[in-house]
Amino acid sequence: MKILIADDSRVMRQIVIRTLRQAGHGGHDIVEAENGRQALELVRTEAPDLVLSDWNMPEMNGIDCLSALRASGSQVAFGFVTSEGSEEMRERAASAGAAFLIAKPFTPEAFDDALRSVI
Amino acid sequence: MAVHLPQPKQLRDLLADLLGRDVTLSPSAPFAPGPDTPASVALYVDDSLRIGALIACDLAFSAYAGAALGLIPVADAATAVGDGKVTDAIGENLYEVLNIAASTFNVAGADHLRLHALHPAGPPLDPQVRISTLTLGRREDLAVEIGGYGSGLLSVVLL
Repeated sequence: MKILIADDSRVMRQIVIRTLRQAGHGGHDIVEAENGRQALELVRTEAPDLVLSDWNMPEMNGIDCLSALRASGSQVAFGFVTSEGSEEMRERAASAGAAFLIAKPFTPEAFDDALRSVI
Repeated sequence: MAVHLPQPKQLRDLLADLLGRDVTLSPSAPFAPGPDTPASVALYVDDSLRIGALIACDLAFSAYAGAALGLIPVADAATAVGDGKVTDAIGENLYEVLNIAASTFNVAGADHLRLHALHPAGPPLDPQVRISTLTLGRREDLAVEIGGYGSGLLSVVLL
């Protein structure tokens, strides 16, 4: 499958990719975006099966990206990987249409649990 | 609501999980950067963009934590300490460490904070930012040992 990773930190994108591999989800096609706006464009042009997105990013944050995707009719599976782990943020994520929220710092087990719900 | 002062255990668990290394914290005297002291300062804002807290780190913590996140060799971190400034790559990683550290403020019933800006160790600090690091009162001052890298100072200051 094709996975789009949106995070403004290059090192965090690398850590997400490494953790996917450690969680037994290596071998997928990976596309990277630096912010929500770029992620929005790449969902259109690359048609990923899953988006893993940070919450706080410049240009466009993750929740606005998700809302824009749903408003445009996209039903791509979308999960947050973010330092925003509070109940309030989890509720906002779920009501906007996110499938899961993985809080940073994360473990391979947390990735596996979340991904098995959408793969 | 008020800003939550992260407890040492919260910070230890966060750093250990994030860096994937043993992390030991011990109480320390307040880190008080002078005009010529290299220091990294992360500023955290609430949802009204008011600065509610900062985390100040000495050059050693900045270099070791930034290097440990990206698996940058310890020798490169030691070189940065000798040079008196962090490299761009280490600074970029440190930004992410301190970005994720925002989660330690965000407990139920407390103001929500997020990272607004990081002044990485090296260039002179804006005097106003430096003076803010000297605020007394609700703060946590810690010596942090990052296994395999080294130790440095970290202070969480509520403003």
